[in-house]
Amino acid sequence: MRESRFPIVMLGLALLFLVGPFVVVFISAFSGDRTLAFPPSSFSLQWFAKVLTVEAFQASFVTSLWLGVLSTLLALLMGIPVAYALARYQVPGAEVIRVILTSPLILPALMVGLALLRYFVLIGNNSISIGLLIGHTALLLPYAVRVVSASLANLPRDIEDAAMSLGANRLQTFFRVVLPNIRGGVAAASVLAFITSFNQVPVSLFLTGPGVSTLPIQMLLYMEYTYDPTIAALSTLLILFSILFVLLTERLLGISKYV
Amino acid sequence: MRVWLGWLALVLVLSVGLAQQRTLTVSGFGLNQNLIDKNITRPFEARCNCKIVWEVGNNADRLAKLAARKDNPNVDVALLGDYFAQLAANQGLLERLDTSKLSNLNELYDFAKNPLGGNFAVAFTTYAISIAYRTDKITTPITSWRDLWRPELKGRIALPNITTTQGPPVVWLVNRAFGGTDTNVNPGFERLSALKANVVTYYNQSAQLAGLFAQEEVWAAPVGRFAWGNLLATGKPLAWARLSEGQAGVSNVAVLVKGSRNQELAYQFIDFIISREVQTAQANDLVDSPVNRNVRVSADKAAQLTYGLQQIASLRTVDPDYIIKVRDAWIQRWNREVAR
Amino acid sequence: MLSQSPARLAAWILLSPALLFVAVFFLLPVVALLLESFHVGQTYGLNNYLAFFADDFNREVYWRTLWISLLVTLVSALVCYPAAYAVLKINPRWRGLIIGLIILPLMTSPVARTYTWLVVLGREGIVNKSLIETGLLQEPLRILFTEWAVFIGLLQLMMPLMLLSLVSAMENLPKDVVPAARSLGASEGQVFWRVILPLTREGLVVGGTLVFTGCVTAYVTPALLGGPRVTMLATLLYQKAGVTVDYAAAAVISVVMLLTTLLVNFLLRGRAAKTARAA
Repeated sequence: MRESRFPIVMLGLALLFLVGPFVVVFISAFSGDRTLAFPPSSFSLQWFAKVLTVEAFQASFVTSLWLGVLSTLLALLMGIPVAYALARYQVPGAEVIRVILTSPLILPALMVGLALLRYFVLIGNNSISIGLLIGHTALLLPYAVRVVSASLANLPRDIEDAAMSLGANRLQTFFRVVLPNIRGGVAAASVLAFITSFNQVPVSLFLTGPGVSTLPIQMLLYMEYTYDPTIAALSTLLILFSILFVLLTERLLGISKYV
Repeated sequence: MRVWLGWLALVLVLSVGLAQQRTLTVSGFGLNQNLIDKNITRPFEARCNCKIVWEVGNNADRLAKLAARKDNPNVDVALLGDYFAQLAANQGLLERLDTSKLSNLNELYDFAKNPLGGNFAVAFTTYAISIAYRTDKITTPITSWRDLWRPELKGRIALPNITTTQGPPVVWLVNRAFGGTDTNVNPGFERLSALKANVVTYYNQSAQLAGLFAQEEVWAAPVGRFAWGNLLATGKPLAWARLSEGQAGVSNVAVLVKGSRNQELAYQFIDFIISREVQTAQANDLVDSPVNRNVRVSADKAAQLTYGLQQIASLRTVDPDYIIKVRDAWIQRWNREVAR
Repeated sequence: MLSQSPARLAAWILLSPALLFVAVFFLLPVVALLLESFHVGQTYGLNNYLAFFADDFNREVYWRTLWISLLVTLVSALVCYPAAYAVLKINPRWRGLIIGLIILPLMTSPVARTYTWLVVLGREGIVNKSLIETGLLQEPLRILFTEWAVFIGLLQLMMPLMLLSLVSAMENLPKDVVPAARSLGASEGQVFWRVILPLTREGLVVGGTLVFTGCVTAYVTPALLGGPRVTMLATLLYQKAGVTVDYAAAAVISVVMLLTTLLVNFLLRGRAAKTARAA
């Protein structure tokens, strides 16, 4: 029986559409011209050099790294206990709890940013950086709960029962038995959470101020002011990082299961 | 667990460390920021032994931020277009300047010393608004605002959005060019509405224009002189139109934000940017046209700037009070009739 | 019962930090914003909403957001069904690479991804240049700053979500249904409509909801590719809050956004449930 080629052709087109533009940006990034044009008339590495010298990028890159690391840690610190409690205890109203904790994913992120700016920063008179950290943490919490829950579901309860029958208490069992066994899930959750935070725009959009800004927001700002291939070079670097991440995590963790 | 606590401690130390440094927060335009850093930020930081933190964006965005943070300001000095500064003053966001603390004030042209009245501001540059256009694509020179309606410009011009500093002055000038008056802006709006077919986009930042010209999206656009250096850097053949209706003039001013906790530094900063050395450096880099009468630049540079009392006097200044009075209505009307 | 209460206590100790955090720092501000959208002078009412929809500019923005989002959802479903089917039929050796290529855009900064379209779609961009060189066009097409640019940008941004949802739905298809249907003489079209589609509806609903919600709430794409001429709900929201400091209007827009996505989510789920029952 002859299968039609139509599905394969559609897949090819879809992939071309998804990844093809990246190739164009790669090539533009090596442009030797003064402004962005494709194809470039000459080639150079000057725009990569420029990326490294733009002060706004350096400062916001550091902010984004810190923000990503801290909000991921906070989300895991709060999310792992939740996933464990929901998996191992019969909690009344577990469904409601799940809905509350995933609400940051359902609400438009712009709304979250605006709400935090208006009530937490302006009316509550708190610092923008803390507002930014809170917004990101809330956004990552659902990922942490979901991914860790999924890997807890795959962990047979028998080992825990065995550990406890050997005299370990709950806490010891958790740290000695459960945590080592779900570390793949925790690692996957961290990677997903960090990337989500690092690329986040709408929540950060309202939560920037003098001296406090994330890399994506600075990129948006820079694009409004300059039309040289610097952003192409920076985008290329970011895309390369993503490729590295995807390769590593897919190989180590099989992250596509969790996306 | 201990590792996490370590991280948190590090963050606390970092944030406390930052808070202790003496910093001056300046709200600025962001255009040519690298040149501004060279001419202003670094020399000033070296002199004051402090750090300047910039908040950049267009006037409307930054005014909104000032207003939102009225009770707890996080900006010390703001650089704004004249009527945006007037809006800020009307909203009670500004401190009156004690001009005795500005040693360079007397070097400025008279109009720059107290442009809003009430000593709310000092102008640090003034510029003309005209039309920049591609000389290779548009062979008959543009000499009037009416030329934007030429059919050959279909899909080839960009207009400043009404919320930008250049927006209302351009509406005002176009309205005048088509026979309107300050009390009757129907001719202007009707013609602008009919211009839609020629407009690629409405820009929110003058800086976007360089990109639009470079990428061949746009052949002509009304723009402030301060963006001219940026446009020339695209390498495209461009000309600055000499309009028969005359050019509009707008000033950019420095203001002190009410509630600033760094007033002393703020005065030093304002005094610094109107000094002869800074104004000369900014003029030579085509960042801002000078208003310090002691600035001398070569004829070459002068031709690219709004330079000298004679040229400045020829500009038709738009009254900030008038723009403020009509702005809300114009924004409404623009959104309804023009920008869609 | 008594032996349960320490366990219950333990569960609440584990749950409370996250619940408290979300309640205090997240739900509280959001609820305050919700209330503000109904706030009129000293009382509450629908006036802000009525005023918002009375302005025909706002209505135009709403319809534009709605149709672009629906079109993106529809087109991505049409493209991704056969594509997802192909992913499963492909040599397993290549599958990892293909999945990697689908995930890659999801892991990349949306700013970088949207920026690529500025390079590709411009008048001097590669699309226009190749169309002119092949003689298909005389004059370059104006794509940037039109609704089509926003459509293309959103489609690329959201398609991986649909594709992954459908791939995982199809992975759960019983292995032998397609060959069984084929051996009974069903044509390829019949296999799709009668077998694959009903069995993967859940994936379509999940993918559709993700894509539609993503489109309605996306900020970067309409801001960069649309500009002021193609205002969408998200860019209007930013304008109201960030430029005109009209928080009531911004609150109204965010609630309208939320309700729209919830409604479409609800409709999709309802349809899926109905057809599942019918089948």
